[in-house]
Amino acid sequence: MRALVIDDSKAMRIILKQILQSVGGTSVEEAGNGKEGLDKLKSMEKPDVVLVDWNMPVMNGLEFVRAVRGNPTYRTLPLMMVTTETESSQMGKALAAGANEYVMKPFTKDVIQEKLKILGIK
Amino acid sequence: MSEMDEAIQEFLIESDENLSQVEQDLLELETHPDGSDILANIFRAVHTVKGTCSFLGYSKLESLAHTGETLLSLLRDGDITLTPAIASALLKMVDAIRQMLTCIQETTVDGEEEYGELKALLTELQKGDVAPSSQSDAASSDQVSEAPVDADQTTAEGEQVVNEEPSADEVALSVSPTAVAPVEHASNAAVVEEKKEKAAPSGDGKSQSAVDANIRVDVGLLDKLMNMVGELVLTRNQILQSPMILDDAALQTSSQRLSLITSELQEGIMKTRMQPIGNIFGKFPRVVRDLSMNCGKQIRVEMEGKETELDKTLIEAIKDPLTHLVRNSVDHGIETPDVRQSNGKSSEGILLLRAYHEGGQVNIEITDDGGGINTQRVAETGVKRGVVTQDQIAKMSERELLNLIFMPGFSTAEKVTNVSGRGVGMDVVRTNIEKIGGTIDIQAHLGKGTTFKLKVPLTLAIIPALIITTGHERFAIPQVSLLELVRLEGEQIKKFIDTVHGASVCRLRGTLLPLLHLGQIVGLDVKESGSKNPETMESPADASDAEAVENVVNIVVLQADGQRFGLVVDEINDTEEIVVKPLSKQLKGVPVFAGATIMGDGRVALILDVLGLTNRAGMTIQHTENSRIDQLEKGFDGIGSRDTLLIVKVGETGQLAIPLTMVARLEEIKMAALEKACGKEVIQYRGEILPIIQLCDVLSYQGTPDADSGDALQMVVISHGQRRIGLVVDRIVDIVDEHLQAKQGSTKPGILCSAVIQGHVTDVLDVQQLILDYAVLPAEESVEAFIEDPVGEFVGV
Repeated sequence: MRALVIDDSKAMRIILKQILQSVGGTSVEEAGNGKEGLDKLKSMEKPDVVLVDWNMPVMNGLEFVRAVRGNPTYRTLPLMMVTTETESSQMGKALAAGANEYVMKPFTKDVIQEKLKILGIK
Repeated sequence: MSEMDEAIQEFLIESDENLSQVEQDLLELETHPDGSDILANIFRAVHTVKGTCSFLGYSKLESLAHTGETLLSLLRDGDITLTPAIASALLKMVDAIRQMLTCIQETTVDGEEEYGELKALLTELQKGDVAPSSQSDAASSDQVSEAPVDADQTTAEGEQVVNEEPSADEVALSVSPTAVAPVEHASNAAVVEEKKEKAAPSGDGKSQSAVDANIRVDVGLLDKLMNMVGELVLTRNQILQSPMILDDAALQTSSQRLSLITSELQEGIMKTRMQPIGNIFGKFPRVVRDLSMNCGKQIRVEMEGKETELDKTLIEAIKDPLTHLVRNSVDHGIETPDVRQSNGKSSEGILLLRAYHEGGQVNIEITDDGGGINTQRVAETGVKRGVVTQDQIAKMSERELLNLIFMPGFSTAEKVTNVSGRGVGMDVVRTNIEKIGGTIDIQAHLGKGTTFKLKVPLTLAIIPALIITTGHERFAIPQVSLLELVRLEGEQIKKFIDTVHGASVCRLRGTLLPLLHLGQIVGLDVKESGSKNPETMESPADASDAEAVENVVNIVVLQADGQRFGLVVDEINDTEEIVVKPLSKQLKGVPVFAGATIMGDGRVALILDVLGLTNRAGMTIQHTENSRIDQLEKGFDGIGSRDTLLIVKVGETGQLAIPLTMVARLEEIKMAALEKACGKEVIQYRGEILPIIQLCDVLSYQGTPDADSGDALQMVVISHGQRRIGLVVDRIVDIVDEHLQAKQGSTKPGILCSAVIQGHVTDVLDVQQLILDYAVLPAEESVEAFIEDPVGEFVGV
């Protein structure tokens, strides 16, 4: 499984990467914000899943989701939003914009594993 | 490092950066309460901290951040408005989180402290305006803003944030290929990460990531590079000095190129170590805010030249001294609002922090528009604390009085506050600044304000130095401490060098300069040890014996810690730019060496630590400070204060004390040299006619001069202005530092009083009276010749 993790916190990226690797992630790429995420997406081999944080500078998760869905190449790319409970009320927006799933912080390996299963990713 | 550890490290670094940002943003928000963008930034930063720590199992930290976040979300959504009380509580939360981070850093857990009270306060504040009125009064008083010019720069350039992550392996420096960027937070270990450009209050909030233009570099790597470039510079110098180069045109061309590239490389590497002083300035608004709140003062902080760059090491070195000066200005400088208003000033005080480059140095000014410094009170305190004597005060200029505050153990604070005024500090400030080759000066206008002016070098890695030789070894002396070079030849040595209290001193333009002999200090056998041994200069007779051996003395006049002294060296070579290398562990404890360098010929030269030498000379300097010859102007009114006295024997029983400040020289003259002029005894002395007084006769002491002395007479040359007289005494006994207390008034003309000195009843000579009675003004010609004497003859100056 190839994955892309987008989060402005490097600590979070390390944590997410670790979790993804423990559930079968073979190559996990990182990006520091939505804009970097878009660039990375174009330069890397198409990932199986993208985990994106909500709250980021420059381009936030919601904007990223909209931008990705605006591009026909990525219309079906599985997008998972990672968020905290303060943003959960806005999750509707994210789902409307095209996110496939959302995960609430803090989460465990099992949660990610389950969500990946739902998305049909191995 | 395991991946989890790595995540924790990253978390610590990020959180600290975030907190710094939050702190600045909160302060800015107080000035611009409508900044919704700023609030969003604050919210996001706290949010990120909380989000990450939830994964790492720091539940206490998470809980605190969560409480703060809830309050912030209410602020962000406009449900409540920011009050000073809320800002204070949030700042407290930042502090608490910092404490937890430190705790995590040290113990890997977030500590026992629950911060229940703080959480309760944060929760309470969520209800809206419940701020205690007293607190809000104080809080509203201190607004923090930046100078307009500075705000412009902030919008124009990217902004770096440095945090205080001390972990060695994660410590990194930002290397920015772009120009200077202002930095808002100070660091001691320096992790710099490019933050998105913060929208200025009036700006459009458009921001751009500079991640692509910046990388993090390990500080250790930079140090290593710096070191290697230093080596390269030295190797280059060796190649350039090689005679082979001159024979080969091609080699000459390429060596020139090598030289050029090396210089550029050196410059480039040095630049990477540069950090803007804004790193330090940035944390002062918070310091000032908290302090002024405590003191009930209203203070606005303004900054200029935040982008001025200094070497990282220097940034760290001046952080504490600057903080102390800022605290000092807030506590002692700026008055309380009511005092200010009654003095016709605006109730809000201004603290201006200014930095700029000048002549290869960085100037830093800390100016407040407070009450200035009352030199009268400084003088009183100085005397009270025993820092100076009343006598010395009287002779001091306004500037010298101001500089008293840098003396150890000095503080003018009428009451000890928890802000400053513990009586330690200003001397430490000066010592620390001088340690890095800087200087500190103070300007104060009573009622108008005070300015502390610091000058610090740009870098410590490469410094201009004077190369000297002693005992066939070369040493480097940093040029910042160098005042002048004095070369004494032949006769002059005897004339200028004397011994006081067993330590040699040099008379230099009216002051006694303590001398240190480098050869003795570093334990190198000096070939011409003759006059360099102070014992041989005990008396004029001995000095003349030594004169044959020694005919040149080179003195390097140095200043550090406010004290001047002369360092006697064998040879003075040249000035050079030297690359400072740290000393190895074995030599680090030796206080007289600051480092080492490699000379062009590949040999090592040790760099002398002038401050260390000063401490070594300390005792001597304390003594001689009191014996400034210019005390002449004061005469001998200061009975009761400490004075350096020359003790002489006159006749069989008479012991006389002569203030050393009045004594120009001690001479031995031949009986035969005595001549008569106008019926009075005189001798020819340095091309002049010197009136002679036989003290024994004039003061009618019992007995005659010692028979042993043969036809040699001991003469004390006294001078006052242009008047000079020679006093013939029987024996020079000693020089003492005495607290004179007149035990008995004078019963004899020519005697001021009698006192007990070293167990002997001693008459204190009324030198002024004697001079008035006997001295003759020199003729016009000799006066002119005297004044023009380029050697700076001290006698009668």
